[in-house]
Amino acid sequence: MIQALRRDASAYAALAAMTSKRLLAYNIWFWLELFVRTLSITVFVYFWRAVYANTNHISSLSLQQTLNYILFAQVLMPMAQFNLLTYFREIIVEGTIAIELLRPVRFQLANYFQSLAAMATLLFMNIPVALIAWLGFGLQLPASGMVWLCFAISLLLGQIALFFFDWALGCVAFYTHEVWGLGVLRYGIAAFFGGALIPLSFMPPLLQRVAEVLPFRLGMAMPLSVLTGVTPLSQTPRLWLIQLAWILGLGLLSQIVFRVAVRKITVFGG
Amino acid sequence: MSFSGYLALYWEFLIQRFKILLEYQVNFLIGVASTFFLQATGLLAIWIVMRQVPLLAGWSFNQILLIYGLVTIASSINQLFADNLWIVGSVYIRTSQFDRFLVRPINPLFHLLADRFNQDGIGNLLIGLLLLIKALVALEIALTPLKLLYLIVAILSGGAIFIGLNLLTAVSAFWVIDSVPVTRAIFETHTFAKYPLSIYGRGITLLMTWLIPYGFTSFYPASYLLGRDVGLLAWGGPLAAVTLLLIGYYAWQFGMRHYSSTGS
Repeated sequence: MIQALRRDASAYAALAAMTSKRLLAYNIWFWLELFVRTLSITVFVYFWRAVYANTNHISSLSLQQTLNYILFAQVLMPMAQFNLLTYFREIIVEGTIAIELLRPVRFQLANYFQSLAAMATLLFMNIPVALIAWLGFGLQLPASGMVWLCFAISLLLGQIALFFFDWALGCVAFYTHEVWGLGVLRYGIAAFFGGALIPLSFMPPLLQRVAEVLPFRLGMAMPLSVLTGVTPLSQTPRLWLIQLAWILGLGLLSQIVFRVAVRKITVFGG
Repeated sequence: MSFSGYLALYWEFLIQRFKILLEYQVNFLIGVASTFFLQATGLLAIWIVMRQVPLLAGWSFNQILLIYGLVTIASSINQLFADNLWIVGSVYIRTSQFDRFLVRPINPLFHLLADRFNQDGIGNLLIGLLLLIKALVALEIALTPLKLLYLIVAILSGGAIFIGLNLLTAVSAFWVIDSVPVTRAIFETHTFAKYPLSIYGRGITLLMTWLIPYGFTSFYPASYLLGRDVGLLAWGGPLAAVTLLLIGYYAWQFGMRHYSSTGS
């Protein structure tokens, strides 16, 4: 039993490690990404300083709170960017899905660990962004370890929820074989309604309601609200419960959608 | 070949390109729609913020739309007519497709640019024009013949500044093959030009005026149209554009002399 578990764990770990290696393989892209991210941080900081030039609070957030939020959002940007759409398209169009489904691991679980590794690697690669934001732009890091822990749990829960959502969305590729436009759309919606561009509390009520019925805030705005102290620690268990409820719902949805969609499979060869 | 000869040839290339587009209409529509959507979320964010704060460093929402619209049009001109500069290394040189241009009796740079009219720029062009018109109407800027001429020259110069900078950085492909990182690093600085340069510190303003002059694609022409005093810089756009195109073209020719095929 224990041996079987150990064997399984090493199989999933190997798959996850592959994803990390792939992302870290191209040095120049890492530096480019860092440069571009620094640039957009610079623009954001100057923009928000100008916004707050004549006022102390907007939607009850001070300049420092807003800057903290926006800067951390830049570090967490991979949460909005990463998705399974291109991967699903690739394995379907190239026909490798036949092999993927035959592997002696659970397809969704294997993919989950790969997407977790991708997320962790991308966040790890964004640590220099956080350093630049901290040293150059006055990002305030929470001192309490408890805040970091609560944030990490919320981030992990958000990542699981978004994984399930993307799993269901990725199934569109079984029908259309072309998902580029959908990917752009998903990124735009995720960044905006996830609260990566502006804090959700700034939005008019109608847009806030839209953000609430979409899952993207689970991976961005919610963990960020813990990290920036907008949600007090005593309130975080309530946040986790909301995230768990979403995970249950989306997990179920992803299973059902995949089961229906996989019957549509056309392997082109390749 | 004469200028009109090249113009006729470009038209031939364009017709071929549209034939391809007609084959893939859905992709074309998706491309335009997603560009539209991404720009819209960015603008929506600005609108939400400026609903609560009427002025950004003394600039109103509509005035910022004018800046945003101008830079969007300029960048769409680059995207429509010179998008191949992005992939000259990764697609043309790496695969030796570039050698094809060298054996033909036309300018290789012309051939490269004419090879792909990028229809995805249409979405950006439409958004830019919409923003420009909205801003001009809302700000009640009367377009006298002189101002109209100024606007047209400013927009064309803006497009040329984008193309010139991309050309200059794309030349690195002759040495490093994949020039995308170099081009993108410079290109992305145009984000600064989406907002009034006056919100930044002095360093960024100087950078965007004298070194990577994206400021002339948006901030300076907008200032002139709004009657804000920016001195002679209001007229700097065409100068910056011609200078960049000349330097870019010389660099290109220099690079061509050092070109050796990858042989693949």
